[in-house]
Amino acid sequence: MGKRLLEIIGVDLFYDDAQAVWDVSFHVDKELIVALVGTNGAGKSTLLDAISGIIRPEKGKILFSGKSLANMKPEEVVDLGISHVPEGRRLFSRLTVLENLELGAFPSRTRPFLKESLERAFSLFPLLKNRIHQTAGSLSGGEQQMLAIARALMARPTLLMLDEPSLGLAPVILKLMFEIVQALNREGVTILLVEQNVHQTLEIADHVYVLKAGKIELSGGGKDLLRNSDFQQAYLGMKG
Amino acid sequence: MSGFSSFGVFLQILINGILFGGMYGVAAIGLSLIFGSLQIIFIAQGTMMILAAYFTYWAFTLTSIDPFFCFLLILPIFLGIGWAFYVGLFNKVAAAGKNPSLLLAFGLMILLENLMSVAFTPNTRAVTTSYTGLGLSIGDLRISFTRLVVFLISLAATGMVFLFMKKTMWGKAVRGASEDMKAASLLGISPRKVSSLTFAIGIALAGVAGVAVATTYPFDPYFGFVFSLKALIAVAFGGIGSVVGAMLGGVLLGVIESISSYVISGGWADAISYGAFLLVLMFRPQGIFGRIAT
Repeated sequence: MGKRLLEIIGVDLFYDDAQAVWDVSFHVDKELIVALVGTNGAGKSTLLDAISGIIRPEKGKILFSGKSLANMKPEEVVDLGISHVPEGRRLFSRLTVLENLELGAFPSRTRPFLKESLERAFSLFPLLKNRIHQTAGSLSGGEQQMLAIARALMARPTLLMLDEPSLGLAPVILKLMFEIVQALNREGVTILLVEQNVHQTLEIADHVYVLKAGKIELSGGGKDLLRNSDFQQAYLGMKG
Repeated sequence: MSGFSSFGVFLQILINGILFGGMYGVAAIGLSLIFGSLQIIFIAQGTMMILAAYFTYWAFTLTSIDPFFCFLLILPIFLGIGWAFYVGLFNKVAAAGKNPSLLLAFGLMILLENLMSVAFTPNTRAVTTSYTGLGLSIGDLRISFTRLVVFLISLAATGMVFLFMKKTMWGKAVRGASEDMKAASLLGISPRKVSSLTFAIGIALAGVAGVAVATTYPFDPYFGFVFSLKALIAVAFGGIGSVVGAMLGGVLLGVIESISSYVISGGWADAISYGAFLLVLMFRPQGIFGRIAT
């Protein structure tokens, strides 16, 4: 058993007055790939927003390496080593690829490593190197997703949270994306992955939590769930 | 050139317009940055210029500090005022939406106008230095020395802001945050810090433009609102959020005013510049120059 990196304990979350998450608990152990799957509106992104400090739990606790994240602002959470690639990538489209990456290393903890981090980003994503002076808005969807991940890595996170990285990607790029996630994990980055692309996610995840209407319905190892017939019926569209 | 008696006259009018427009441009950059990043229409920008003009006036009248040296004093003071405005006033109000911040800016303008009127009297003031009347003559052209210096300082201020935005981490953070504040905060950029920095730079530019007003124009406490409107026009010409665009927009506005007041009459200059403003908003809302770099 690895050590607990992130612990979510009984949280209730609200988005604009409407409750989105009910009494959810889960944890992410060090150096694993943990996934949250479920349909749209199940509360997956809301959970990531709460971990990042964008919204605050009404009830419950969020601990990172045993330390409470309550009352921390997003910019403080990044500095602790949690990077969040939000849904829709949220790149700075008018800034160049290089400028986007540089801003990824904004926290003072990571700024001294700017050069090293850039080299690492270009070795992971060689495509980006030829595009450094292009604006992020001019990249293709796949390139934008790589840039979003590369930008988050510039902050040298111990925990990388990815919200729907496969959204809108062509099948070839999608496969590459999942390979990259695995490669990062092998380098020691813990991954918390939110996905609707359930099949691929289950293939690579060490542990999966299934969210439904704001509650955890099911959890287990990725490969185990793939063989679970209830799960197959509900989420993979297979007849048991 | 039917309206002009000679090409020399045309050139003179053009130069006057460009020199004058630089002042609009500097004020417009501040307005554009504040609007682009914070969605606040800071209608008190012109009144802040007049405050800086009074500062220059009193520094010159009471202690004989040269107006051009005054730039160096006004920059840090106005950076501080801008920072305090954001942290003390706009930080909370901006969260409530665009309209409350516009109202706050409007209230600030009225308050400042009346405070200046009470403290300094509503009399028109002007800074007259030993070199106010000096000019350079090139052939038939005459270029006022103060206006030329003011214009060069305006260009230098533009260049500094441009380089800051392009080359420094904080400048890039300001540009990034103006596109997507949430994404910026997820990268560790504090919305409060980046917003107060933007506001401070915007107000400091009003300070620079204010020294320009003091040295080239007579002014009174209520003179600022017109400058706010002119700066807004320049922003619309240049495209919101663009440093170079705002400067070019200001220069273009100066030229339009200068030419129309010569060809038609001074009374028509405003009508034509507001008319051009409407046309740009209707047909090129992204600005005449589109997005040039920043």
